Amino acid sequence: MKPRLIFSGLAGAVLASGLYLAASHPPDSFQGEFARIIHVHVPAAWVAFLAFGVTMVAGLVWLATKNYTFDHIASASAELGVLFTSLALVTGMLWGDVVWGKAWDWGDARMASTALMFFVYIGYLALRRSIDDSEARAKRAAVLGSIAFLQVPLVYFSVTIWRTLHPTPSIRPDGPSMPTEQLKAMLANLAAYTLVYVVFVVWRGQQSSQETLLEERDNFDLGPAGTAIEPPTLGTTT
Amino acid sequence: MRFWSHVAELVKKDLRTEGRSGEIFFVTIPFGVLALFLIPFALPNDQELLSVIGGGIFWVILLLFGMTLTFRHSETGAQRMLMSMLGMDPAARFVARVIASALLLLAFSLVLVPTVVILYEPITPAGWPILSVILVMVCLGIAAIGTLSGEVTIGLRNRTVLAPLLVAPLSVPLLVPAAVATDSLSSQGSILVPALIILFALLGVTAIGVLTARPLEEASR
Repeated sequence: MKPRLIFSGLAGAVLASGLYLAASHPPDSFQGEFARIIHVHVPAAWVAFLAFGVTMVAGLVWLATKNYTFDHIASASAELGVLFTSLALVTGMLWGDVVWGKAWDWGDARMASTALMFFVYIGYLALRRSIDDSEARAKRAAVLGSIAFLQVPLVYFSVTIWRTLHPTPSIRPDGPSMPTEQLKAMLANLAAYTLVYVVFVVWRGQQSSQETLLEERDNFDLGPAGTAIEPPTLGTTT
Repeated sequence: MRFWSHVAELVKKDLRTEGRSGEIFFVTIPFGVLALFLIPFALPNDQELLSVIGGGIFWVILLLFGMTLTFRHSETGAQRMLMSMLGMDPAARFVARVIASALLLLAFSLVLVPTVVILYEPITPAGWPILSVILVMVCLGIAAIGTLSGEVTIGLRNRTVLAPLLVAPLSVPLLVPAAVATDSLSSQGSILVPALIILFALLGVTAIGVLTARPLEEASR
């Protein structure tokens, strides 16, 4: 069996056990059943941060080595980062609607800064789609991926800098602030989402690599520009 | 030494080009001032509300209208190629562009500040000298982000839409701390954290711009 399929199966199994743990722990004393959404929200946000970090590192490695595998990883990782950021935003809004009484609050710095980070990476993907030449695309995307990553620490520390509505991290150096069952479910889901991210990056990266090969083949089939010009012929009138 | 003499020459060239075209002084600045006139029309007739939002409106107008001047075309592709063939360091071009844009943004602010004070009567912050330092840092930061985004999108067919889409959210690490600092100064609070965030963002973007200037120049050929 291919290692990729084994790894995908492992990711699926860990995800299933994470979902089981999330669904089976006792309800939260304050938020009730709705607290379970945190097992999707927090891992999605973590994977988004990880994905944007990988986008930056892979872009810089591409600049240093010119190995296109890293450009494909950067591109795939940014796409997944945007996907997981939107998942974190949607689950956060659903949770906010129940617990705070409103889905969006301008007083919450984490929420607003996450939405802005989402737009930054939408811009990154838009830039990639605007450039046909693979080398120029990889170079420009690597630079933008590095600047865009400056948003990530701002989003992460926004809750401590601005002390807003958003809860502070539950897993802290002085010990976790949640019951053991919830903590186990959270850690299992963090691992599961990370594995799912790795599987998707590999798949999407390979797809992206094949797309580039197809683009190069199409460009090659066009032939030299000079063939489009017909030689003048004598004795004909128009 | 040679690096900085190149930077000085390029800054002079950029400002001279702007002085001749007058695009910023006759288009961007009046348009920004017009926006300051228009915003109160969309709000209830409440001077107290305008006083409260005045400081924040200033930073938003500075960003939204100021970013357009950081994308201006000051050299053609042939000029860029010539400078490259003459051995001009792309990092010097980046630094010069940032300094020239920051100077133009400061000139823009010199018009915006009295307009905001007259039209909005904002709560006057106590520490004007400190706020001026923050303003210089924010102008340098917007100039650096705008220059990098302009370089990343140079020659693309959708550049006029794509570049602002990149600059606006990327400038938030400058905009939010600047607004927080203005608020803190008005209430005699500390501005250490917002000032450090602006400084961190400015240094980060400048470092990335200097380090990636050469690959970006190669990508734009």
